[in-house]
Formats: sequence, C-alpha cells, structure tokens
Amino acid sequence: MNIEPKRNMPKLPRVIESFKLRSIQTIITFSFTLMTVLVVIAVSIMLYNKFTKTAEENAYLNIQQIIEQVNYHLELYVKGMQDIYEVVEQQINDTPDISSPVLREQLTTLLHTREDLVSVGLFTPEGKLVVDIPALEMRKNTMLEEQSWFESAHARPQKLSFSPPHIQNLYKGQYKWVVSLSRMIKYKDQGTIKEGILLVDVNFRTIDELSRKVSLGKRGYAYIIDDLGNIVYHPQQQLIYAGLKYDNIEATLEYAYGSYIDKPTGEPRYITIRTVEPINWKIVGVAYPDEIVTTKKDLNQFIFWFLVVVCAAVVVLAMFVSAKISQPLRRLEKSVQSVGQGDFSTPIHVSGAHEVVQLSKRFNFMLHRIRQLMDQIIHEQEAKRKSELDVLQSQINPHFLYNTLNSVVRLAEKGKKEEIVATITSLSKFFRISLSKGKNIITLEEELEHVRHYLIIQKIRFKNKFNYAIECEQEALSCMTLKLILQPIVENAIHHGIEKMSDEGFIRIAACIKEERLVIQVSDNGLGMSRQVMEQLLSGGIRSGGSGVGVKNVNERIRLYYGKAYGLRFESELEEGTTVTIMLPVEKNDDEQPDWGMS
Amino acid sequence: MTRTVAGLRVCLMIMLMIVLVSCGGAEPNLHVLEKPKNVDMIVKMDHGDFWKTVKMGAEVAAKEYNVNLTFKAPQNESDIDEQIRLVDESIRNNADAIILSASDYMKLAQVTDRAAYYKIPVISMDSEVASARVKMFVGTNNYEAGQKAAKRLIELTGPDSRIGVMNFVKGAKNADEREEGFMDYVARFPGVQVVDIEYCESDEQIARQLTRKMMSEHPDITGIVALNEVASIGTGEEIQKLGLGEKVKIITFDSPAKVMELLQEGIVQATVVQNPFNNGYLAVRYAVQVMEGIEVDERWDTKSTLIDLDNMLQPQNQKLLFPFVK
Repeated sequence: MNIEPKRNMPKLPRVIESFKLRSIQTIITFSFTLMTVLVVIAVSIMLYNKFTKTAEENAYLNIQQIIEQVNYHLELYVKGMQDIYEVVEQQINDTPDISSPVLREQLTTLLHTREDLVSVGLFTPEGKLVVDIPALEMRKNTMLEEQSWFESAHARPQKLSFSPPHIQNLYKGQYKWVVSLSRMIKYKDQGTIKEGILLVDVNFRTIDELSRKVSLGKRGYAYIIDDLGNIVYHPQQQLIYAGLKYDNIEATLEYAYGSYIDKPTGEPRYITIRTVEPINWKIVGVAYPDEIVTTKKDLNQFIFWFLVVVCAAVVVLAMFVSAKISQPLRRLEKSVQSVGQGDFSTPIHVSGAHEVVQLSKRFNFMLHRIRQLMDQIIHEQEAKRKSELDVLQSQINPHFLYNTLNSVVRLAEKGKKEEIVATITSLSKFFRISLSKGKNIITLEEELEHVRHYLIIQKIRFKNKFNYAIECEQEALSCMTLKLILQPIVENAIHHGIEKMSDEGFIRIAACIKEERLVIQVSDNGLGMSRQVMEQLLSGGIRSGGSGVGVKNVNERIRLYYGKAYGLRFESELEEGTTVTIMLPVEKNDDEQPDWGMS
Repeated sequence: MTRTVAGLRVCLMIMLMIVLVSCGGAEPNLHVLEKPKNVDMIVKMDHGDFWKTVKMGAEVAAKEYNVNLTFKAPQNESDIDEQIRLVDESIRNNADAIILSASDYMKLAQVTDRAAYYKIPVISMDSEVASARVKMFVGTNNYEAGQKAAKRLIELTGPDSRIGVMNFVKGAKNADEREEGFMDYVARFPGVQVVDIEYCESDEQIARQLTRKMMSEHPDITGIVALNEVASIGTGEEIQKLGLGEKVKIITFDSPAKVMELLQEGIVQATVVQNPFNNGYLAVRYAVQVMEGIEVDERWDTKSTLIDLDNMLQPQNQKLLFPFVK
C-alpha cells in the first residue's frame, strides 16, 4: 500500500501513476482479470469438450437413425416384393393349366394393383418363354441365359433370389431398371407338372428414390451394395466405374452392422452400415464429421467471442472496482499527508467503502482529539502561569510588616496610643482585604479600602509627610477589579515620588467610568520619573521595594486577565509628579468569578 | 517488481495460447468451398438424355463441392445466338465460373474472351471453343471416338466398302473432330471409300430424309456412321424402315433407348457412348479447382466406350447406357 509518503520521484501523469505495479488498483485489476479469465477458459474448455462430444454423439446417432429408417423401409419393401412373388407363385400353382386365360387375367389384375410390378414371366429351364404378363413380344438378342436371375435360379433352385438392379431387356417397350426375383417353381401344363423359372421384375425406382433422398449433412450420402460388393445404388456410380472415385467399398464387406470412421482419401468419413435382412444387401451411410458437427465451428466462434467479451468486461469491471476501492484510500492518503504537514483544522470527508468511511471517521475523531489535547495543553500552560502569579500576589510582604510593626513600636515608646490603635486597625484590615478569602477579584470599593488602609499606615509611618485623597464615582464602586493593583502603584508613588521630597506630598486616587472603561488614576506631586525609570518599572528592572508585588506584576496581571487592551499607563514629569492610569473593563459585581481549575 | 511483471507476462501468454489452441478449427478441405459459389453451366440444348445426364453429374458435384449450379441451354442446338446471349447473361450476373459446351467453335469465341476479360474462368465441356482464355477442356476425346467408330465399321464392312457419314452440325468442334478422326482412320484403308457426308442439324426428320437420299444416291453403301444421338436415331430407324437392316452396318453415337432397341434388333451394330455424367461432374469439379486457384490440366479426357451386344449388359455399361432410373 502506498500510504507511506511518496519517494522523491518526478510526478507521473495521473493514469500511469494510478497503475503503479504495486498499487491496489493494479493488483486487484490483474488478479481479478487473471482469475476470471482462467476460470472462464477452464469452464469454456470443459463446456466445449462436453458440447462437442454430445453434439458429435447426437449427430452420429442421428445418422444411424436415418440409415436405420432407410433400412427399415427397404426391408419392408423387400418383404412386400417377396409377398407378391408368393402370391404369383400361388396363383400359378392353383391353376391347372398354365395357358388358361383366367390365370392371365388374375396376374394382369395383380400387375395393375401394384405399380412397382413391371412384369411377370415364366421361362423353361432352357430359357424359353412360357408365359409373360403383360403379353409383350420378346426382343431379340436378350442373352437371358447369361443374366444373373437366370443363373441363380439354376444355382439355387429352392431359394428366392434377388438380382442386383439391371436393365430389363427381355420385352419390347421401355428399358427399365428392375430388380429381378427368380426361383425354380413347378407349374401344370395341360395336366403335366413341369419345372420352370418364375421371374418377377420389380421397378428399381422406389429403392433408387429412397436412397437418393437420404441426406446426411450437406455432402453425405448413402449407397447400397449386395452381398458380393456389387453396387446396387450409388449416387456416383459412373464415377466409380470410370475409376474417378474410390469409395472403399471393400472395407464395408467386413461389417453387417456397425459404424466406424474411415479415411480412404485422408478426409475422415463416418460410415454406418446396416444389412437389409432377407436379401443381404448392405446400406452404407457416408457422412463427413467436419460438416455434420457444425456445432464445433459455431461453438469455437462463440467461445472465442465470449472470451473476448468476458475479458473486456472483466478488465473494465476490475478497473472500476479497484478504482472504487483505491480512490478513497488515495484521497485519505492525501488528507493524511496534509495533516502531516501541520494542518489539523480541516477534517477529512472521504466517502466510499464502509471501511474507508470508518477509517476516515476514526481519523477525524483522532484529529479532533489531537486538537483538544493541544488546546488543553495551551490552557494548562496559561493556567499554570496564572497560578504562579496568584501565588506571587498572595505573598505577604514581610518587609512591609516589619516596617509597620517597627513604627508601632516607636509610637508605643512615645505613648501615642491613638495612633497605635489606628495603625494596628488599618494593618489588620489591610491584611484582611489582602487575603479576602482567597478571591482574586474584589470590588473596587474593597480595593480602594485596601489602599486607604495602606495609606493610613504609611502616613503614620512617614509622620504625615504626605496627604492623600480618594475619590470615586458611586457607579464605579461596585465594579469588579483584580485585587492588589492599587497598593503597588501607591507604594511606588511613595517610594519614588514622595519619600525624597522636602515638601509635603499629596497622593490622589480617582476612579471613574469613562468610555465603557473603568479608569483609576493614581497621581502624586512628587519628584517624577524619567522615561528610563518608567520603562524599567514596567519591565520589572526596579522593584518598588515595599510589598514585593511590583508594578510590572500589576500590568501583567491585568493583561492576563482582561486582555492586551487593558493595563497601566504612566505619565510623569520630573519635579512635577507622576500619574499612573489603570484601565480595566467595566465588570459589575456578579459574585462568581471564573474558576481556573486550580487546586 | 520485475518478477511480478515476468509472472504476469507468463500468465498472459498461457492465456493467449489456450485461446488460440481452443479456437484453431479443423483444416479445411481444399476442394470443398467454404462459401458457396455460383457456377453457370451453359450447354447446347435443354432436352435430351445426354444433357440431362450431364446435368445430373454436375448436380452431384455441385452438392459435393458446395456450388450453386445454374443450368442453362437454348431450346435448339443450332440456336447459337441464344447460347451467346446466355453466356452474356452469366457474365452480367457475375457468375464465379462458367462451364460452356459451345454449339459453335468460332462464334462462341468472342463471348468467351469477354468472360475471361471479366475474370470469370471458363471451363469448356463436351465441345471446345476457339478461345485461348479457356482454362480447361473436359470431355470425350472426339477424334479418338471417331476413330473407334471407324475401326469397328471397317471391321464389319471389310476393307473394300463404301461408307456414308451422318454428321450433325458443321462447325461444332466435336462434330468436326469426330468426323476428322473417322476420316483419318478410314484413310488408312485404300479400299474404303467415304461416298457421302451429310449434316442433319441435330434434327431427326432431316436425318431420315438425308438417309433416304443417301441410300438412293448411293445404294452400294454397306456402312453408315451416325455421329450423334439424333443422327443415330434418324439414320437407324430409316434404315430399318427401308428394310436394309443388317445389310447396311451402322455405328452410332450415344445411347438413347431407341438406339439400344436398334442395337438389340441388330440394325445398329455398335454405338460409341460418351460419359456425360462424368463430363458434368468433372466440369464442375475442375471449375471449383480453378476458382480455388489450384493448377488444372489443359484437357481431361472422359473416355468413350464402344458398346455392342456383347458388353451392353455389363453392370458398368448398363449405368452408362441408361443413366436414369425410370
């Protein structure tokens, strides 16, 4: 997976980039395609084999059935001929005199009822005509003694013999192709029983047509041979006689029934053989497997195109699916990358697969958590600082206490009872407000009270070296303020302004609300400060030496609590005095103050 | 990474091989046309057993080699213009091959050249045509057939005899060749004299008239040769009618039933038969070979056979003499 940051390589175009060899998309596309194609090929091969085998078997079965059918018809036909022969023989047997007109009439009727029947003839064993139906003149030069029906009647007198088809040349009229049935029979001629050869000629046309109609595929055909291998019917008889065609007839003589593949000229031929029972003729079907099993070729083509289409479809599908899977991951990767570069604020919105959505959700959650933790860290840092400051401000300045107690001792020695009481009372109030139950925010009234007690103590201590005035708008009294912000400034004023003065000093504290701000001014008429000293004061270079909570501290606290818009402003002129302006937001007393979560 | 690529390549190659192997069809038989082609067979006459047998043979071959066969012929053998028109028609119909049995050796030459010009191969069958563009000739060697007839006739009449010739159409190549073969053979016997040569235009009635005329003009004729089917019937029957049977020996051509009857009656002593079935069959077969671009011989001789009473009942001759089962 490519989630790790990219190596330093020149950026490739998108398409190529998306096809890096080890990318999910490539792996899925290839494996998916490969698997599907292999499966499809395997299935195709199996189906192909199965189909072709079945098709072949069916085709062969079909051919066998056709030949069987023809054979059946032939047998039926032969049987019919035999029956006719029997009938003719019976009629001759039943007739006392062969030359009787009744017999002639009976046989003529029989001849008319059977279209196939060409002629009936009775010959003496020497070949002389006794009787013929229809009564036709014999031709000259018939050579009937040499014809097969005559010879076989002599050779096998008891057996009804079927001749191969031949031209009937005995009687005048047409030359017809006939099959001759012949046997030696007995007949009565004017009381004497004589032997003769009964010849029944049956038209060959029916057999010829039957065989001609056999169509085994486009080029296949059927032929008939007799038991000696002579051709009875063959569609290409003349070609075979002329030696232009070879049909491997000899091979069929070995079979009486069966099928086999023969290759006399190289091309395979499917041969089916059946025997026409009573006469031992063989009907041979010749079919060309290449042609009859046309399914093979069609199937070939079909499977080829099927494969092509499937491959194309699978590739497209695989690319689509893999893109669907890898695209969100890629987007996720990009987002994560931007996070890695420090952008925590933009959340990731990746749609897509459930897992990816979950992942992005979890990631977002994680981001959120990181942001929260970072906020918390900032928060805690600030709080820590504030707590430090709080600790600072709550410190009791031992020096101030020592000075005050010192002055009380001095007063006591002098027996100034009232002043001692005032000092101690102010000190106690001063500390009470300083502590103020641990609160940081107090009302301006309290703050002013606090600074007033401080001023009382200092005034006694400095033997009325200065005077002071505290003025406040009634409205401002209830405003909330940080505690202990005035005391360091006043302390500063005393130390730097009043203490070294020869004249009586004066400190004026005034608070008012001005332009939505609480403005408190502490002004003295002391020595004033140089710009340098003012800067040092604010940067903490000079400590006012008294309470220990410096002016800098005051400024920082105000800024921390209320923001950078608020704080201290110094205006000072040497020999004239200093005015410190404190600016605070107007916050009315609503009791609660923010809890910083410190313990 | 490289190994993955190599693996993928191997897989792809195996797949391709499987696809190729499974799609490699059987090797086609060179002679059997993959797609049927149109072959026009134009013969001399649309009737007569001879041409019917030619057609039968052609049809057998057409079935075997996957050819659409169109069989055309004028009504009459002497209608040469009609035959030319039929050839033209085949050229216009864009036949893939033409098999032509030309009624006239010279007059069909031009149209044959035209067919060749349009890249239609022409096979000449039965009788030739005066065109060098013909791919091949399939038919009887007519010169030889004429010689066969002459040989038998002279055997019958003896070396000192007067002989008449009944030809059919002057100008038809096969008629001319038969006559030529006959005359050349006769020329070997100085005692044998051909006293009359007639042309019956393949018309039975004309043949009868001409026979009568011949016999009345040359009563000493002891042998006649009739050079085609129609001439044979006319001549044979007229001789029988004149009562000259057996006195005048007759050698005929072809084997219509009437001639066979005359043969059995002893009027006709022998007949020269061609093999029209084989003519038709082979003409189509060679047309297929030519269309497939396979070399063919210039000539194919379908043998002629001399049939007499002794051999007419042999099975192969029976089929030759009576090609149709009626």
